[in-house]
Amino acid sequence: MVIQIILLCGLVIFSVLAILLKDLIKAALSLAVASLLLGIIFFRLAAPYAGVFEISVVAGLITVLFILTIALTKKGDEVTEARLVKLAFPVFLILFLVIDGLVMKSLLQKIPALPSGPETGTFGQVLWKQRTFDLVAQVGVILAGVLAVLALFRKKEEDRDE
Amino acid sequence: MSNLWFLYLFFAALLVFIGLYCLLTMRNLIRLFIAVEIISKGVSLAIVATGAVKNNILLAQSLAITYIVVEVALVAAALALIINIYKKNRSLDVRLLSKLKG
Repeated sequence: MVIQIILLCGLVIFSVLAILLKDLIKAALSLAVASLLLGIIFFRLAAPYAGVFEISVVAGLITVLFILTIALTKKGDEVTEARLVKLAFPVFLILFLVIDGLVMKSLLQKIPALPSGPETGTFGQVLWKQRTFDLVAQVGVILAGVLAVLALFRKKEEDRDE
Repeated sequence: MSNLWFLYLFFAALLVFIGLYCLLTMRNLIRLFIAVEIISKGVSLAIVATGAVKNNILLAQSLAITYIVVEVALVAAALALIINIYKKNRSLDVRLLSKLKG
């Protein structure tokens, strides 16, 4: 329980750093550390496959994409944020912590949970047999993403020709 | 078990709040996208923690993996879009997007 709380606190701290740090590279690296901690939390919740995906894809691939984008947009750091935003953040955070603590517990008791029996079988059976439609949708989403990226970069090449 | 569920959902809600605050107040496009990532972390934490507490961890894992795949496709497309916006405006300021005309 103590380790879980430490991991969750680390997750929140690195997420806060990701939005407050001025240097975007450091912000992206903080996000990667937060993903790593989330992956460890998944492992501790007996969800190793989700943990592996979180660490390899989110902490690895997405961080690389972020750093690549930051490198390609060098003047990105020059966007000035309003000063009040960072000053007001701790106030809003503490306010939300109080509301979250007060409301969440009573809210959880009111949420009707659907009755479900204990799960049987392996992860592979659940993923490939029960959630087959999800996998088809995943293939569609990946294709849509690839086509979107291709379309966006093809447009740039046309601009170069002109 | 209920206390554990409360703990995880408490932190998941906190992550969603941090992301929403950043989305509503900040101007840098890349930072806005980092905020979207933080919100998605909160959501995936809520999915997996609820699955673990309610003894449906296999289903929760498969949903989390589906969610991560959707997230990656979204990130790839959005970052490509951000690079294009930067090439056009020479800035990542989200306020400049309001000047776009169709």
